[in-house]
Amino acid sequence: MRVARPQAEYFRYAGPGIIRAKPKASAPTTQVGRAYGRVRRVLIGAPLATEQESEERLSKKKALAIMSSDAISSSAYASEEILNILVLAGAAALSLTLPIAIAISALLAVVAISYRQIGYAYPSGGGAYAVGSANLPKIFALIAAAALLIDYVMTVAVSTSSAIEQIYSAFPPLYPLRVEVSVLAVALILLGNMRGLRESGNIFALPTYIYIGSALFVVASGLLKAFVFHDVAATGYHAANVPTPSGGFEALTILLVLRAFAGGSVALTGTEAIANGVPAFQPPEPRNAARTLLMMAALLAIIFVGVTAVAVSYGILPGGTESVPALVARASVGTGPMFYVFQASAALILILASNTSFNAFPRLAAILAQDDYFPRAFAFRGDRLAFSTGIVVLAVMACVLLVAFDADTAALIPLYSVGVFVSFTISQTGMVRHWWNARGRGWPTRLVTNGIGAVLTGVVAVVVASVKFTAGAWMVVVLVPIIVATMLFIHREYAREAEELKVRDDLVFGQPHRRQRVVVPVPGMTRAVVRAIAFGRTLSPDVRAIYVTDDIEEGERLRERFSRQLPGIPLVIVESPYRQLIGPLVTYLDVMEPDPDAITIVVVPEFVVRHWWERVLHNRTAARLRQVLIGRPNTVVALVPYRKEHALTH
Amino acid sequence: MGESSGQGHFARVVLALNGGPTDALVVGAAAKFAGRAKTEVVAVHVIEVDWTHDLGDVVPGSQQRASEVLDRAEAQAERTGVSLKTTLLQARDVGAAIVDEAAAIGADLVVTGLPYRTKFGGEFAMGSVVPYVLQNAPMAVLVVRSAIPGDTAGGGERHAVGRD
Repeated sequence: MRVARPQAEYFRYAGPGIIRAKPKASAPTTQVGRAYGRVRRVLIGAPLATEQESEERLSKKKALAIMSSDAISSSAYASEEILNILVLAGAAALSLTLPIAIAISALLAVVAISYRQIGYAYPSGGGAYAVGSANLPKIFALIAAAALLIDYVMTVAVSTSSAIEQIYSAFPPLYPLRVEVSVLAVALILLGNMRGLRESGNIFALPTYIYIGSALFVVASGLLKAFVFHDVAATGYHAANVPTPSGGFEALTILLVLRAFAGGSVALTGTEAIANGVPAFQPPEPRNAARTLLMMAALLAIIFVGVTAVAVSYGILPGGTESVPALVARASVGTGPMFYVFQASAALILILASNTSFNAFPRLAAILAQDDYFPRAFAFRGDRLAFSTGIVVLAVMACVLLVAFDADTAALIPLYSVGVFVSFTISQTGMVRHWWNARGRGWPTRLVTNGIGAVLTGVVAVVVASVKFTAGAWMVVVLVPIIVATMLFIHREYAREAEELKVRDDLVFGQPHRRQRVVVPVPGMTRAVVRAIAFGRTLSPDVRAIYVTDDIEEGERLRERFSRQLPGIPLVIVESPYRQLIGPLVTYLDVMEPDPDAITIVVVPEFVVRHWWERVLHNRTAARLRQVLIGRPNTVVALVPYRKEHALTH
Repeated sequence: MGESSGQGHFARVVLALNGGPTDALVVGAAAKFAGRAKTEVVAVHVIEVDWTHDLGDVVPGSQQRASEVLDRAEAQAERTGVSLKTTLLQARDVGAAIVDEAAAIGADLVVTGLPYRTKFGGEFAMGSVVPYVLQNAPMAVLVVRSAIPGDTAGGGERHAVGRD
C-alpha cells in the first residue's frame, strides 16, 4: 500500500527537530508571482542553496589576473591624467610627465610593500576597515569604509567610462552614444553579478593576460621604434605642437606639478585588492598573495611608465576623441590587428576592473551591516548567494554618476583616488599600531615600512584632496563625513532596538498572567464577523463586538440578531453622528478599558477579494484599522481573513 | 555488471532502502548510473506492518521514521546532483513489496543494500529480503554489500548483480 507524503514535496527531514524547506515551499502562489519568478529565473538563474557556494581557491596565475584587473587597468588612464594637467603649462611642463610617472611608480612600490605586510599580518583578509577596526578607534575604520565605498562606486564609473572611451577610440561613431553604452555595460555587469558570477572563471583571467601581453608589446615596440630605430615621428613635445588652452598657458608651478602627480596617482587604485583577498589564495595563502602582489605592482609600474614613455617620445597629447593609450598604440604598432587587440583587451580589463568593485562593495557593505553600521538588507544574500542589495545600490549609484558626468573619464577622475588614499593611510596607520602592539620578530622594520607607507599615502591624500578640491574632490570630502554620520546613526538605532528587545539570560518565563479581552469591530452580521468572533472566543471568554454607526435603529436591529444568533457576545453600539469609524473605535478602546494591564486583542474580520480590481469595491477598513492600532500599548491586532471562495461554497 | 537490454544504461532504477547504514552505499551506487545517463531514480522504503495491525493503520512513529529515511536519501542524491523520486509503502512483506513496486513502475534495475552480518556460529546471514528480491525480481538486481567489519581493504563495498 502506497503511503502519501504530502509534506515531502515542500519539506525534507534534516535532523532531529529540523526540517528543510525545498524550493517548492518558497514558490510563488499567485499568477503574478509566478510570472515574476519566471522572469527572474531567465535573467538571474535558479536560486542556489547556501551550501552550493563555491570555495575554490585561486592559484597565483589566476589570482593575478582576477584580483589585479582593477590595479593594472589603471595604466589605461593614469598617463592621460598626468598629461591632462601638464598640457595646460605647455611643452616645457610636458617634459615632466615621465619623472612624475616614475615618482608615482616609486609610491606604488612603497604601497605594495606595505600591503604585502598587511597580507601576512591579516591572512583572513586585511581590508582597511578590518585593519582599522582592529587597531584604531572605530571612527577611523568607518572613515576608511566610507572612503572605500565611494571609491568602489568611482571604480565602476571610471572604469566603465574609460572602457567605453577605448571602444570609441577604435570606433569613433560610438562617441555620441557613450552614456547609453556605459549604462548598458553597468547593467550587464549588474546582471552577471546578480546571477552570482564566478569571478574565478577563466573568462576573467584571459582578458587580463591579453591586456598585459598586448600592452607590453605596444610599449616594447614603441620604445624600440623611438629609441633604437629612431622613428622620425618620435619627435617629443615641441612648443609648436602644443595647442594654447582657451585661457592661455598656466605657469609651471609646484601646484601644477602636484596636480599632475595627484591625477596620475589613480594608478594606485586597486592595489589593496590582493591584501583584502588573501583567504581566496591557495595555501600558503599569505606567501602566494605577497608574491602575486609584487608581480602585480611590477607589471603595473612597467606598463604605466612604458605607456607614458612612448606617449612622451611621440609627443602624444590628450584631449581628442581618442584616448592616450589608443594614440600610443597607433604610434607604436600602427592601425593593424594588434591595435584592435590592445584596444579590445583594454576595454575588457576595464570592465573587469569594475567587476572587482561589484565583488568588493557588496562584501564590505555586508560586513558593515553585520556590524550594525549599515541596514541589514545589505547582509542578506539573494537567490544566487550574491549580496543583491549592495550590487543593485552600487550599479544605480555608478549609473547616476555616469549620466551626471556624461561618461567623461576626465570629469570623473577628480572624485576618484581621494577615497583610495584615505583608506590606504588608515590601513597603514593601523598596521603601525599593530606592529607596535604585537612586537613580534622583525617588528621594527615592519613598523617603519608601514609607517613610511602611512606618511606617504597620507601626504598624497591631502595633496589629492586639496588640488582636486574644486574639480570635484570636495564632494568626497563632504560625502565621507555624511556617510560616517549615517553609519553611526544606524548603529545607534540598532543598539537602541537591541537594548529594547533584550531578554535577560537569567529569566524564566512561565504562563502569562495578564488578563486578555477580545474586541471585534463589526460592520454588521456577516460570515466574516461570525468567523472572527469564533476565533476571538478561542482567545478569551471576554469577547465583545463593537458596531460604530450613525443609524441607531440599524444598530438595535443588529443587537437583536446578535443576541439571537451569537448568544453571550455583547454588542456595544457606538453612535457616531459625524460618520467617523476609526476614530470613535480607537477612542472607545482608549477610554473604556477598566483594567490598564489587560491585553486587548482587536480581532478584525477581513474580507479577502479574489482579484486586485475588486479592492476598489471595498473601503479596506481592516487595513486602515490595523495601521492605526499597530504600536498601541498592550494591544494585539489579529486579522481574520474570510475569502470569497468560502462565501461561495458555504 | 549487468546492463539493461543491451542499451548501455538503465532507464529507471529502484533503490530499496532499509533505513540502515547501507542506504548511503545504495544511493552512492545509484548516483554513478544516474550521473552518466538520464536515468530515473526512485527510492523505495517499505514499512512492514505485522498481522496485529490492518495494512492501512498508522503505526505510531513509523511513518515519520520512514519519511526521514527517504529524505536522507533524497538529500544525499541531491548533493551528487541526482534527482530522486521517493515512494513510501506499507506492506506485510518487504521483499514482495519492493519487487511489486519495481515491476509496477517498469524499473529495469533494483539496487539494494546488504549489511554484512553473521549468524550465531559465524555463518554469513543474508536475511530474507535480498534473497527474495534476487529470486523474484524480473529485472536486474544490484546488491551493495557493506564492508566486512574490520576489513576495509576491499574499498568498503562489494557489488553483485543477478538476473531472474
